[in-house]
Amino acid sequence: MYELRAVTKHYTRAKDTVHALDGIDLTIPDGDRLVIQGPTGGGKSTLLQMLGGLDRPTSGEIVLDGTDLAALPEARLTRVRSESIGFVFQAFNLIPTLTAQENVETALVPLGMKPKQRREQAAEALKSVGLGERRAHLPGEMSGGQQQRVAIARALVKQPKVLLADEPTGNLDESMRDEIMDVLERMWEELGLTFVMVTHDSVIARKAPRLATIREGRISVKENTRA
Amino acid sequence: MFFTYLRRELRRRRKAALVVASGLALGIALVIVVSSVSAGMGRAQEGVLQSLYGLGTDMTVTKAAAPAGSDAQRPRFRFDAQDDGSGGEQSSDRVMVRGFQTLAGSTVGRVDAQSGVADAVGGLSLEVVKVSGAFTRGRFEQGEGGGGQGFGRGGAQPSPQGRVEGGGADFDVNSYSVYGTDVTKPALGPLTSSKITSGRSFTRSETDAKVAVADAAYAKEKKLKTGSTVTVKGTGFKVVGIATADSGDAAADLYVPLKQAQTLAGAKDKVTTIYVKATDSQRIDSVKSEIRKDVPGTTVTTSADLADTVSGSLSTASSLAASVGKWLSIVVLAAAFLVAGLLTSSAVSRRVREFGTLKALGWKSGRVTRQVVGEAVVNGLVGGALGIALGLAGAYAVTAVSPTLQAQLGGGGGEGLRGGFGGPGREAAGRTLDVALTAPVGLTTIALAVGLAVAGGLIAGAFGGWRASRLRPADALRRVA
Repeated sequence: MYELRAVTKHYTRAKDTVHALDGIDLTIPDGDRLVIQGPTGGGKSTLLQMLGGLDRPTSGEIVLDGTDLAALPEARLTRVRSESIGFVFQAFNLIPTLTAQENVETALVPLGMKPKQRREQAAEALKSVGLGERRAHLPGEMSGGQQQRVAIARALVKQPKVLLADEPTGNLDESMRDEIMDVLERMWEELGLTFVMVTHDSVIARKAPRLATIREGRISVKENTRA
Repeated sequence: MFFTYLRRELRRRRKAALVVASGLALGIALVIVVSSVSAGMGRAQEGVLQSLYGLGTDMTVTKAAAPAGSDAQRPRFRFDAQDDGSGGEQSSDRVMVRGFQTLAGSTVGRVDAQSGVADAVGGLSLEVVKVSGAFTRGRFEQGEGGGGQGFGRGGAQPSPQGRVEGGGADFDVNSYSVYGTDVTKPALGPLTSSKITSGRSFTRSETDAKVAVADAAYAKEKKLKTGSTVTVKGTGFKVVGIATADSGDAAADLYVPLKQAQTLAGAKDKVTTIYVKATDSQRIDSVKSEIRKDVPGTTVTTSADLADTVSGSLSTASSLAASVGKWLSIVVLAAAFLVAGLLTSSAVSRRVREFGTLKALGWKSGRVTRQVVGEAVVNGLVGGALGIALGLAGAYAVTAVSPTLQAQLGGGGGEGLRGGFGGPGREAAGRTLDVALTAPVGLTTIALAVGLAVAGGLIAGAFGGWRASRLRPADALRRVA
């Protein structure tokens, strides 16, 4: 479970101070599926980075299962990322020279797993997203939807507690979008993940059980009764 | 994963990798060629010095120079015109001590007794001038006609009653060098720089024997062979061996036992040069000082002193290799390292998203840095391999072409010459030797090249690694979001 208390994040850009997050208080229970929306530059991606331990807040606490990520030393924060948090990015962020299988394996490398076990687990993850036959393909040889499915397999192969997705369908057309959302929803249900997703897509937002909106660094959360 | 990732990345960026590797290869090749040419020059210089000194000699001791013209001997020849008009051939050998300066034979023992001296051996260097020919008296002729018999037609004098016609002289002057060597110590002295290519060398018991070893070039000129007899000042010496100089010119045309040389020159118990081998090559300077102090009236010349007197194109090329070559190599290498570093750093900047993603997945900074350094080191090793191949080809080309360098001895006016470098050394003063330049590549040079390749890779990797280690996952992903 996430508990965010009075989280602020200030940047200095040129001579101005940007208040990306301005006193965020938020609770995300285990197994929750939260969609974050808001205008560009409103602080959505910054909040996602804080949740994923990719950046530290200027002030406040980000507590994940009792551990304040903001106060953790870098090595332990890296360990939390490697064990507990899976990321899916808008641009897929696959390593272009590695095959689908090897890309998925990169998520298991920090866990110190034996190569054989790593290979088996990665193959299994690819099978679960419907890409069992394309293990040996390079990202450049696959469609956008397939690449994003590889990225989902990479995020989930280590069986994290949390899945963070930053505009996962932003680079895809409508049919691909639906395909990817189906995979993500299925995984959320099957694995019992805490799933936080940033999106601009109102179709996706309408289906979310909880919807958060960030505007000028401030957040408001409402239950989605129509979902 | 490390090697798979490394291999694929190098293949993907092979053009950039090739640029980095080529820069390093150029620098490394230059270092190999310059090092090997320098080694070749050193070897050539050593060869030149050895041809004067002989193998294993660390220094020579000669008599200190006397004021010029004090008691210099000049060769004199006496020939008589023969009354019978036969024109019979006459010859006269004049044997002179080369340099006219000698040391007492006992000095050898005194030098040998100095601490730090492993062995000392004396030698006597002689110059033989042989004048041979016939002298015919002119004939007095009344009136016209008639010519004198004989070889020349000059010398006719007018006379009130008639004329003296004919008569004259035809003499051939043959000059050659003889070196009296101490046959009891064959390991030291100028003869060690030659190989016996026919017959044998002296035996230790041949101190009084009338035997000689002829230099190959002289033997060829005079058609001498093993078993021939060569006559010096009326004494016949049996040629027991032919010696060929290892490099440069031989120290003498004929080698005879020291005692025989002393007898020929009338220099009983005298030597011109003492060849000294030190116990420790690092202590040559201290041994030199000691000898100069304890054996007054002598000049001690080390190989370093003699090397200072080598001039000519060998010396020029040697200085070029030492100065321009060295600095050029350093500049090219530094530039190659810098370019490799900057290119690696720039490659990391282009891969910010990639490394940011890996950090987001939980890769530690160290693991990402190792990956970058690994790629750079492989680049460096590829550059090193190319550089070694290029350098070996360059060194091979130099050896194959073997450009001839001239070594002029005595141009520098080193101590050895000012102080009177006796024996063969004096003969060498002002002499020009042709030396073929080679470029030997030693294991040390190869090891240096490999070291430089690894260093180049590590330096490039340090640039890139430093850049990669400073990346924060959020910074990397912000560009994407």
